[in-house]
Amino acid sequence: MRKLFSLRSPSRWFFFRADDRLLLILMGIIVGICSGLAALALSYSLETLLEFFHHYSQHWWVFILPAIGAALSSFFLNYVLKEGAGHGVPEVIYSVSRYGGLIRLRSSFSRLVSSCLTIGFGGSAGPEAPVVMSGAAIGSNIANFFYLNDRQRVTLVGCGAAGAIAAIFNAPIAGMIFTMEVILGEWSMVNIIPIAIASVAGAETSRLLVGNYIKFSHLTLNTNFIDMVACFGLAAVTAIVSILMTRMLRNMHHVSEKVKTKPWIRAAMGGCLVGLLGFQVPEVLGEGYHAIEAMVQGTFKAGLLVVAVAAFAKILATSLTLGWGGSGGIFAPCLVIGSFTGLAFHRLLVIVFPEIAWVNEGCFALLGMAGMISGILQAPLTGIFLIVEITGSSEVMLPLIAVSSISTTLCHYFEPASFYVKDLVEKGQLLRPGTDERVLTDLSVAELLEFDCVVIKKNMMFREFIEVVKSSKRNYYPVENEDGSFAGIVYFDEIRPYLFDTLMYDAIIIEQIVDDKVRVVNYTDDLSEVLKTMDNNGLYSMPVVSNNRFAGMISKATILDHYRKELKVQTT
Amino acid sequence: MNLSLSELAKKLNLPESTVERWIKQGRMPVHKESGKCIFNKSSLIKWASKHNLKFMIFEENNKIGDDKKELTFLSSMENGEVFYDVKGEDIYGVLENAVNKISSFDENQKKDLLAKLIERENLTSTGIGNGIAIPHPRVPVENFSESAVITCFIDGTVDFNAIDGKPVFILFILLSPSTKEHLSLLSKLAFCMRDISFVEFLKSKPSKDSLIEKVSEFENKS
Repeated sequence: MRKLFSLRSPSRWFFFRADDRLLLILMGIIVGICSGLAALALSYSLETLLEFFHHYSQHWWVFILPAIGAALSSFFLNYVLKEGAGHGVPEVIYSVSRYGGLIRLRSSFSRLVSSCLTIGFGGSAGPEAPVVMSGAAIGSNIANFFYLNDRQRVTLVGCGAAGAIAAIFNAPIAGMIFTMEVILGEWSMVNIIPIAIASVAGAETSRLLVGNYIKFSHLTLNTNFIDMVACFGLAAVTAIVSILMTRMLRNMHHVSEKVKTKPWIRAAMGGCLVGLLGFQVPEVLGEGYHAIEAMVQGTFKAGLLVVAVAAFAKILATSLTLGWGGSGGIFAPCLVIGSFTGLAFHRLLVIVFPEIAWVNEGCFALLGMAGMISGILQAPLTGIFLIVEITGSSEVMLPLIAVSSISTTLCHYFEPASFYVKDLVEKGQLLRPGTDERVLTDLSVAELLEFDCVVIKKNMMFREFIEVVKSSKRNYYPVENEDGSFAGIVYFDEIRPYLFDTLMYDAIIIEQIVDDKVRVVNYTDDLSEVLKTMDNNGLYSMPVVSNNRFAGMISKATILDHYRKELKVQTT
Repeated sequence: MNLSLSELAKKLNLPESTVERWIKQGRMPVHKESGKCIFNKSSLIKWASKHNLKFMIFEENNKIGDDKKELTFLSSMENGEVFYDVKGEDIYGVLENAVNKISSFDENQKKDLLAKLIERENLTSTGIGNGIAIPHPRVPVENFSESAVITCFIDGTVDFNAIDGKPVFILFILLSPSTKEHLSLLSKLAFCMRDISFVEFLKSKPSKDSLIEKVSEFENKS
């Protein structure tokens, strides 16, 4: 038993004690394989489900399928597992920044099952976010199992996310970059290496089981200078579509909230609408990879108008699915919408400038995808590397970089926060490493208490108080009532005029000079709020009161001192 | 080595909760195992210096400083000497004769001290009234480990430009290694001098033993 126990705490082994990098790499491999397996399981079951329902696609009642799927998935999340809806990426980001990457064990499969139900029955959503969530949860729980600390756990959470993305797209670099750019938000050497290894493990798992299949490897993508110029237009268009989609997704959420009913009924309503939309534009159903493939290969024959309508229909379908309570991510829909946008833009170019020999439409579809990913996720590198890896060539590199960076920049004007972190930013919960918010959140009031204040009683005479003044070091004297409860503060500055007036010594009682309307701090107060109060009121010190008793003082000087230590410890 | 959380926090001069959180977050090279913090001393010291922190491993040795005898007027009197019938026409003459009598000083030290005393005297008189003067250097005396009070009964009296104009019959030369000790000594001396009976007692030119006995009476009173 003891032996088993020591097996579970590898961080205490002599070998890993001095430096945990090797340990993290080892763990990264395990996590990468596990999350890769989870990703493959989801994509396999999705394929099976979609294949199964494909046979019934001619029946009239088929529009009810997305409703059933969304209702089931909502029911599963809300009643069986009691987890909130949503795609999970913000939850992972928040957990990484606030709770050292602690994620519940059930999260490792909850989103897998629910998104499988939603998407498999035809809902418009992506399997990537659920896979990232479960990969992250797997990483977190493996870290917990081995008693790793917060920093190591965060790395493993990143490993899980990277392994999942790497496995689902067969794109190890994209997995790694996505994790650094979106999930962790910092590029530190300690993290990059295990995460890169986990990416490799995830991708390798997928290659072993599914085969090394690079989706669009045989495309010829020779872009000319004129295509490069067109890219700027495409970037602007994808940016507009990204903003449209972000707003639509969020507004749909507010609309659906107005419908006061059980969450699974709401999800079913959204699903029904998606199903009806699917009658007209069948491409909007499901994750949509078949549509992407058709578009990139150039076998998607519809004209400009149909493609443009399809792009908007997909946006609508995704908002209906996710906004009304279905489960899944926006990554795959982004890719679908991106390729629709790229294709539409290509069609438009051909109509406006028929004499120019444009590169094939598949290339524009790919560029559109990169533009969408960069715009919505505000993660340009993820967009670039994902496309490079799924095409298996770097020929499109230049236009890719142009589209991605311009799209990100333009979107940033209108939507400063990416879709994943928007809610967090609004709640003030986006705490990227090394930022002011992060440092202030990590520090707690209890750590900053100063105990060198002398507490005096309310009924003390001024003469006794003078003796206290002689022996104390601070300019603040907390006062307590007879029963020990906090009564207020005597400020040294305010009693200065009476200090040398011996007549006053027996004439004043502390009660008469105490300031009983001071602002106090509680143990649970947010440090940023405390600092704001200090700034607004010109205070340098505030008393901390707990259970109506004086606990200590908190002052700007101590906060700065600890802030600096914390910043140093966090960033180096 | 291993320490408890509170010991480790004390050595790092950080709040316990901060150390606990940093260990949990994996920010410092310390492992916690059944309530003990286990760490490699050298790597922790390296970590601490990298982050502008100090790890005071030899704290036990620093405690010796706290055992230092508390400074009192009495102990300073005992450290110093008592001279009777110091001659002199004016301030300078009296000071010169007094300083020359100090047995523990060599010629250079005497010259140095005299110059410093005269410099202070030129600033304002150290005659604090009731016939008492307390000559002292403006800055603490170098290479001087313990405070001393040198008591000099003057042969007759000397005009010292004292604040109350009375001629001075006794000098207390205050020598202290730091300003803080000087102030503490001064305040204790002033406490004694405020008492008229003590001044009367001084006028009787008591022996060193009886003087010290009287001072210890006062010390106990305050």
